[in-house]
Amino acid sequence: MAANSDARKMNRRDFLKAGGAGLAGAALLGAAGCGGGTIQGGQGGGGGGASSGNVFTYGRGSDSVSLDPINATDGESFRVTIQIFDGLLAFSPGTTDVVPWLATEVPKPENGGLSYTFKLRKGVKFHDGTPFNADAVVFNFNRWIYTKNPYHKGGGGQSADFAYYSSMFGGFDDKSVIKKVEALDNYTVRFTLRKPQGPFLRNMAMHQFVMASPTAIKKDVEGFWRNPIGTGPFKFVNWDQGSEVDLKANPDWWGKSYPTSKGGGGPHIKKLVIRSIPDNTSRVAALTGGSLSAADGLNPDDVPAVKKHGGLKVVLRPPLDIGYLAMNNEKKPFDDVRVRQAVNMAINMPKLVQAFFGNTATVASNDMPPTVPYFNKSVKPYPYNPKKAKKLLQQAGVGGGFNTDLWYMPIPRPYMPDGKGIAQVMQNDLKKVGIKAKLVTYEWGTYLDKTGRGEHHMCLLGWTGDNGDPDNFLNVNLSSASATPKDALNVAYYKNPQVDKLLKTGQESIDPNVRRRVYYKAQEILHRDAPWAPIAYAKPPIGLQDSVRGYDPSPTGSEALNDVYFSGGK
Amino acid sequence: MTAQAQQNVAVTADGVEVRSRRKDFLKAFFSNRLAVFGTIVMAVFILAAIFAPVVAPYGPYAQDLTGKFAGPSLAHPFGRDELGRDILSRVIYGARISLTAGLAAVVFSTVVGTLIGLTAGYAGKWVDSVLMRLMDVLLAFPSILLAIVIVTILGQGLTNAMLAVGIVYVPQLARVVRSAVISVRERDYIEAERALGASHTRIVFSGILPNSLAPLIVQATLTLATAILDIAALSFLGLGAQAPSPEWGAMLTDAFRSGYGVFVSGQHAILFPGIAIALSVLSVNFIGDGLRDAFDPRRRR
Repeated sequence: MAANSDARKMNRRDFLKAGGAGLAGAALLGAAGCGGGTIQGGQGGGGGGASSGNVFTYGRGSDSVSLDPINATDGESFRVTIQIFDGLLAFSPGTTDVVPWLATEVPKPENGGLSYTFKLRKGVKFHDGTPFNADAVVFNFNRWIYTKNPYHKGGGGQSADFAYYSSMFGGFDDKSVIKKVEALDNYTVRFTLRKPQGPFLRNMAMHQFVMASPTAIKKDVEGFWRNPIGTGPFKFVNWDQGSEVDLKANPDWWGKSYPTSKGGGGPHIKKLVIRSIPDNTSRVAALTGGSLSAADGLNPDDVPAVKKHGGLKVVLRPPLDIGYLAMNNEKKPFDDVRVRQAVNMAINMPKLVQAFFGNTATVASNDMPPTVPYFNKSVKPYPYNPKKAKKLLQQAGVGGGFNTDLWYMPIPRPYMPDGKGIAQVMQNDLKKVGIKAKLVTYEWGTYLDKTGRGEHHMCLLGWTGDNGDPDNFLNVNLSSASATPKDALNVAYYKNPQVDKLLKTGQESIDPNVRRRVYYKAQEILHRDAPWAPIAYAKPPIGLQDSVRGYDPSPTGSEALNDVYFSGGK
Repeated sequence: MTAQAQQNVAVTADGVEVRSRRKDFLKAFFSNRLAVFGTIVMAVFILAAIFAPVVAPYGPYAQDLTGKFAGPSLAHPFGRDELGRDILSRVIYGARISLTAGLAAVVFSTVVGTLIGLTAGYAGKWVDSVLMRLMDVLLAFPSILLAIVIVTILGQGLTNAMLAVGIVYVPQLARVVRSAVISVRERDYIEAERALGASHTRIVFSGILPNSLAPLIVQATLTLATAILDIAALSFLGLGAQAPSPEWGAMLTDAFRSGYGVFVSGQHAILFPGIAIALSVLSVNFIGDGLRDAFDPRRRR
């Protein structure tokens, strides 16, 4: 993705941190999966007949930061805004396949990918009664692209300042990949690009780039984050900050007759309550106690307990993430590829993944998950082979072992439910080949800051994708451009000109054959160079009352709940 | 009476009394059942800590991921933790860390507190006021909160946690010592020493301090109990002992890290380190209470 240069300028780390605990959510550091949601049938009735009253209570780990989606970065904000807003395109339920949404079809690239024409759905209205049309699209994009636009502001005290726009579309103003957005007629919009962008349509489907009511923004741009108005299946009712967001069904939603396979239908529930319960154990207890209809952010260890409880079920979010151990390629002895390969072989990854993720993850072979297109299946994980690891260390001149440090994050992440435990197991495995690693940790914000400065030798980190494109994984995490000295996302500080070139080609090409070729090659080189020891593709578990139907978790971390209902009452 | 004569009397009286006092003291202490219980428990803990490598059935770091949260069994009487490590062995090795950490913290606060208390009590006047107001400032914060602040400033880790807890309890010991000093400062035998031309240092360390020891020992023992608890608390919060250390508080937090599931399948991982903390704190408190009663002639039968 375009996440390169410009996003970095605005200080990626701040961007990441903006999400607070949820961390940038979604996307960015995978925070996405974090919060949970709960759906509660009836008054705390939870269970079966919960359909009474048709209230769905979703329990999650932390509150939203801003309900102006373009000015948020945390997954918990998007969890709410995706209920209220619609984009031109969307991801079909449970996948990152692009489907038409407010546009009636997915446009074909024109001019070699330099322009796209979107036909808009007619008769769609914002929650404030104003019509959705081409002018609204142009208004929204101009607000995001141009820093001089009078409405290029808002988002509240912790606003992300349009970080997602610059991250996905290369920057603002003259740096923006989107050069021009114009209304050809009332229901046709043409986008003109400065250069072709491989993931363009996927970006357009992201829940950050959604249509807000121009009337509402013009009226009170600074207050919009607390009073969001879109065209989505639910209308905003109330936000009790720090506690819960209340939404109610939008009976006039355009999507009620749209095929459910593409994400339409509903909304069936009358009221949607999204409640924050930061303590994981309390949240699960609220689910088992029946006061939540759904709980997000379950620990893999909770899964057997929840299943055993009865009256509850667990669904797994499709993986769009990766957890990894990054080795700092700029520090000795990890500047030697043999040492990095040795680390890969010294850790018994299948055993580790089984112990910490149970059946909620698969062992990683590449540096991006298999749900992403152009995933190279021929690349296999390094086998567990301490003997060979020792031999490689000998060849690298550190056969006698060495002292180093291994950093772990202090809080659970969707891609890494127990960094502390995983680090201890790795420490144990590494010791067997003579690598004595000291465990280091910091408070989460500090951890990101310090790893972004490259103070570590080895560190655990992960990534949750935004749009399901390989660019959004490989380029963001492993290109030289991402190995900035102060706020690197490429915390391995891996720099390989050949890989950089492949990734750039992939980013700027719209030809699937070209993209396949370059990403396949890049994955092979990355496997050989081993800047990481990839750990797992996690499928974050979500707990639900048995009576809940139609809940289809999205790999991106947020899903609209329009098609959710309680059995017995649709 | 001349000063000389007075001192002679005191010396003889003291010589006679010392023996019976010690006997009385031991008798009083050991007739206190709770104090005896505490002493035995602590003796067990201390022996376990010293001979940990001999006593513990497994290494404290030996993992077996297949035995995650396995319940108590013959091979693992206390069960196993989230990485399949033997909890009994970890509790035994943990005694080394938790007890030494608590002790180190108390030694720190006792030494510093005694120096401050002696200075304040002996010098009096503005020195006393300044030092004691300073102590009041420290006392104004809840102890664990103050410890958290200090660790946050110093950086997390067991050494810093010990130091933080040590600092937090300085005022209590300083106050106890100061009041003891004030109560003996004007006694005749101190006057006598002063009249004999003894230096301040000599008066303080050979005249005043030994006669203030009883309350100091009692307070230091009681502080040891809270220090053990506070260090466990800091480790529980992730500020003290770091992974993979088997410090008791850290063991608790390790178990809780696994979330709701631990209440269903891993209660033993919470129970045993918890019991170890509770038992040691309770025992030290009993010992402290026993010492206090034994030192206090009015409480003796």
